[in-house]
Amino acid sequence: MFELPPIPTWDGLHPLIIHFPVALLLVAPLFIVLGLLFARQRRPLMVSALVLMVLGTASSFVAVSTGEAAGKLADRTPEVNQVLQHHEELAERTRLTFTVLTVVFAGLLLGPAVLKRPLATVPAVVLTLLFLGVYAAGTVVLVNTAHNGGRLVHELGVRSLMPPPPVATASAAEED
Amino acid sequence: MTTHRFIRPAALFLSIAVIALIGSGLSGEAAAAATAAKTVDNLNAAFNGESNAHARYLAFAAKAGEEGYGEVASLFRAAARAEEIHAANHAAVIKKLGGVPKADIQAPDVKSTKENLEAAIKGETYERDTMYPEFLAQARKEGQRDAIETFNFAKSAEAEHAKLYTAALAGLGALKGSSAKPYYVCTVCGFTTTQMNFDKCPVCFNPKDRYVQVS
Repeated sequence: MFELPPIPTWDGLHPLIIHFPVALLLVAPLFIVLGLLFARQRRPLMVSALVLMVLGTASSFVAVSTGEAAGKLADRTPEVNQVLQHHEELAERTRLTFTVLTVVFAGLLLGPAVLKRPLATVPAVVLTLLFLGVYAAGTVVLVNTAHNGGRLVHELGVRSLMPPPPVATASAAEED
Repeated sequence: MTTHRFIRPAALFLSIAVIALIGSGLSGEAAAAATAAKTVDNLNAAFNGESNAHARYLAFAAKAGEEGYGEVASLFRAAARAEEIHAANHAAVIKKLGGVPKADIQAPDVKSTKENLEAAIKGETYERDTMYPEFLAQARKEGQRDAIETFNFAKSAEAEHAKLYTAALAGLGALKGSSAKPYYVCTVCGFTTTQMNFDKCPVCFNPKDRYVQVS
């Protein structure tokens, strides 16, 4: 039978939302690379990259906020505390890094059009390559954040507090 | 015109979704309050334990001072301050869940500093390994987020107290004639330490300016 899952609480959203910044922000540079390779489709590919970065960065804000709420409920040991604190610091750094990167990329992409001073192809490509270099450094922070989150869950057994199952399902399970 | 046709159904769908979300949230809160009975009992037990530990450690500190263990007296005073913070945290959650915090303060059984340290280690170890893990499991089962947080804070601090007491007991002979020593206690979670070599509290992650010195 069709059954809606329980609506997660703010802290319970963390395991769901964290995959968005990881996926979106790691896929975005691929569109930039494709835009550099396929000159005719450059504009739509670059705009797609920007949209992915905006969505990824926005979801990183939600991930940090839900993570702070979820962290308060984690089963604490000295080791969990240490990894959790490191994870939180990296997450805040990721959020800041990709906020700056998204603003810079939007400036690169939209700035010339807004200022009505289009960039020549060579400087535009060089600036984009430079941007990709800095972006690669940003992804190291992102991947480290994800790795520490993975350690908390899969190595140290930290888990979020999920809503209890619906009463009907729970009683059915008991009958089984 | 075409866009217009979609506005009403979309608005209707959004309204239903918002009402469902609010309804779910409200019923969730009501359900949480209704199933918190055991956790409120546990919070009261913890509040009673922490309040008694606060009184007991102050008495142990006075005894350590009399016997010339100034450093041990400082440790007991710092731990007493931490237990006071835990009791206040537990009380705030009890009130939030509609209960009334009650503590039955017993007259402390004060012996020699060595025996007092042994008793303190036993108490902290029980709280770290048995009492708080059980209370945490129950609070998780009942989905009591505030209770989980306050139990977590207390459990982490008690673990550190056990370490500090164990170290003091091991080196008690050398501490005879020692003078007061500064300890630092987090006013949010009660974590107790001798070294402020961090920017954020290692347990509650609040800035280190939330610490107070106790000696």
